[in-house]
Parts: sequence; structure tokens; C-alpha cells
Amino acid sequence: MEYLAQIVPVMAEGLKVTVSLFCVVLVLSIPGGMILAMIRMSKLRVLARIVAIYVYIMRGTPLMLQLLFIYYGLPFIPYIGIQFDDATAAIVAFVMNYAAYLCEVFRGGIQSIPKGQYEGAKVLGFTYFQTMRKIIIPQVIKCVLPPLANETINLLKDTSLVYVLAMNDILRIMRGIVQRDFDTSAFFVAGVFYLLMTFVLTRVFSYLEKRYAVYDE
Amino acid sequence: MSFISMQHIEKSFKGNVVLKDVSLEVNKGEVISIIGPSGSGKSTFLRCLGQLETIDKGTIMVDGLCLVKTGADGKAVYADKKTQRALQIRMGMVFQQFNLFPHMTVLENILIAPKMVKGMKEADILPIAERLLKKVGLWDKRDEYPSRLSGGQKQRVAIARALAMNPDIMLFDEPTSALDPELTGEVLRTIQQLAEENMTMIIVTHEMAFAKQVADKVLFMADGLIQEEGRPEEVFDHPQSPRTQAFLQSML
Repeated sequence: MEYLAQIVPVMAEGLKVTVSLFCVVLVLSIPGGMILAMIRMSKLRVLARIVAIYVYIMRGTPLMLQLLFIYYGLPFIPYIGIQFDDATAAIVAFVMNYAAYLCEVFRGGIQSIPKGQYEGAKVLGFTYFQTMRKIIIPQVIKCVLPPLANETINLLKDTSLVYVLAMNDILRIMRGIVQRDFDTSAFFVAGVFYLLMTFVLTRVFSYLEKRYAVYDE
Repeated sequence: MSFISMQHIEKSFKGNVVLKDVSLEVNKGEVISIIGPSGSGKSTFLRCLGQLETIDKGTIMVDGLCLVKTGADGKAVYADKKTQRALQIRMGMVFQQFNLFPHMTVLENILIAPKMVKGMKEADILPIAERLLKKVGLWDKRDEYPSRLSGGQKQRVAIARALAMNPDIMLFDEPTSALDPELTGEVLRTIQQLAEENMTMIIVTHEMAFAKQVADKVLFMADGLIQEEGRPEEVFDHPQSPRTQAFLQSML
């Protein structure tokens, strides 16, 4: 018990890193994914094709590889040669990756809205922008909530990958403690931290789903 | 000059000719029924007027305003966006599949367009919405979501929603085709009522008895052409064209 009281506050420091990375990435990748989805479905053929290729690359390679490439690889690319600090590199890599996944989630959502909804809005005189804002997007949100909950929980767990960049998130601190003390309690503490966070997320999403369930399709 | 004038409309979808050369004149307050077999182009023709399809060739004039005309190169040239939208707002359209907004209550469905499109205040629209919902007999359902309504109720809400924009013309695209037979009556009565109020209407329908009863003029379309048109009793009781005769025979 005394040992726990000693390691929990240390690991809670790692929690801050994990949570702030999670929040920043989520806030940036949701609009990012939405914009990518709109481009991908637009009539701008060339741009749509580029987004499709981008999504293929982001989904087709390990997130770990993308993370390592952006942190260690980019500085050595001729002419580009950007050196990000660890937090920035992590954010860039995660947002790029998650925006690609969310692009597909939103694309699926937007395509599930029947054509009649656009026509119903058009004959009432709605502009394209009004149609999207008042008619299409609210319905898309309802039907993307379950896959969005999936991706959000995945993201929370994926943030643990930043330990390769020497960022002191929960997992890296945990590893340090285990190696120092030869005691496995830290594994359990880390597990409980993640479970608590996913519990909160699950509750948030089931609240949202309930709120949107007042109407059926 | 007639209120709506559609001249020599041509339209094809990827090489498949749907409208060959269709013309129609509608006077103010007139009710037109368009009948014909599936795939005859009658819905497409209505959708061209409702600006849900663009035509390849031809002229559409509404109340002296030109929506589209054939240009020097023989292709249809549309008016600017502002004119298109102005004409759009003057036409109400009712669909086979209702197309109500499922995430809004009945009342919200009625209020949204006048609010968003015309910029009206909610306090000004509410009495109109109340009058319209009472007219279609659904004021007590105002706080329900569309999924809780029967098909006939949905369609009556859709009619009220279109009327809330105070249109000059109502377009009906097979308004009863998705309904169970016992529910068509309530929708047809609502449309009948509009006809009695001298609303200008074009109705694409498979309800022959209704078409005959409500319309001032009936058009029979087949193969992208108007095969026959005239007063209901002429078309239904004394059809001249063999196509019309065959079609009406098959409907009995």
C-alpha cells in the first residue's frame, strides 16, 4: 500500500502527458478528417485522388513507423529537413494518422444519408452550406458515433506509442519504475489508469448516443 | 402568356434519352396531372421544373422569369444562381419518399425553411405552421419525430412543410406511390383541398381516378414524349392515341 502511494503520484504525471496528447490530437483530427472526407467526395478529381492515396498510406503503414519517421526521418530528407521536438512530432504523426482513419468514418457517414435529404432541402431553397450544416451533418454525427467511439478509444491507447520518442507518458514512466524496483505493481496501476479513462470515454459516447437516439432513421 | 412555360425540353442520362421534346403550358391556378408508365420520363420532367435535374435543351419560363433557354450553340443556358434560387423558392415539391428531416420534429420540419431560407422570425412563422398543421390535421403530432408517423401522416407533413414557404406552384412527384392503399385517401384529400384553393399544381401520379377528378388537364407520357393531352374526360374516356388506349386498358 505504501509502495502504491509512492508510485501512483509519479505515474499520474505521465497521465497528464497522455491526456493532453489525446485531447490535442482528437480536437485536431476530427475537423481534419471531416475536411479530408469532403475533399475525397468532392468533384475535384485530382485532390480526391490525392486524399485517397494519402489515406491508403496512412492506414497501410504502422503508426509506429510514421511516428519514428516524422521524428527521426524528416530531418534527413533533403530540402524539407524539419526537426520537430518530441511533443510536436507526436502530435503531427497522430493527427496525420487519425485524420486519415476519421476521413473514412465520416465518408461512410455522409454516404449513408439518402439523396432525398439533399433534394428535400434543395427544393425548400437551402444553400449547399445550409443543407450540410442543418440537415446532413447532424444526421452524420448520429450514425458515426459508434465508429467514432471506437477510434477515440483506440487513440487513447495508441498514445502509449510515444514512449519511443522518450516522452514521459504513463507507459514510459511505468517501465522505468518496473525496471528500477523489480516490482510488477506498476503494470496494474497503468492498466487501471487506462481503464478509468476508457470508462469515461465509454460513458460520454453512450450519453451522446442516447441523446441522438430520440429519433430513428 | 402562361404562368409556366416549358418548351421543347430535352434530357438524357449518359446517352439514354429520357425526354425527347416535351412542352407544357400551365396557367395560374391550373391543375395538371401527368400519367404514364414507369420510365416514361414524367418524373424527370417534373424534376427539371423543380431544378433537381438540369435539361440539355429547351426553355423554361416561370411568371415571366427565364430559368433556362437554349443558347446559340443549341445547349441549354441557365440563368444566374440568384434567379435560379428565387424561382426555386416559389415552387414547393412533394416527393414519393417524403424526404422529411428525421432528426427534427414535425414542427421543426415546418419551421426550418422559412427561418433559414427566408430569415423569418419564429414568432412570425409559428401561426403559419399552426394553421398549416391544422389544415392537414396533424397539429397534435407537432412534437413527434417523423419516424413515429404513418406514411400518410408523413406525406401530409411534407405538404405542410412545402406550403410553409408560401409557394406559387406545387409539384407532386408520385405523392401516394409509397403509401399503403388505405392511406392514400388522406393525402389525396389534402391535395384536392389545395386544388379547390386554386393552387397551381403539377401532379405526377398513378392514381387514375384522382387524376381524372382533380386535374384541369391530363398529360399522358410514354417514351419521353407527350402522347396525348387534354381535358380529363377527353383523355380518359375518349383516348385518341393507341398508346394511351393500351395504357388505360392495362390500368383497369
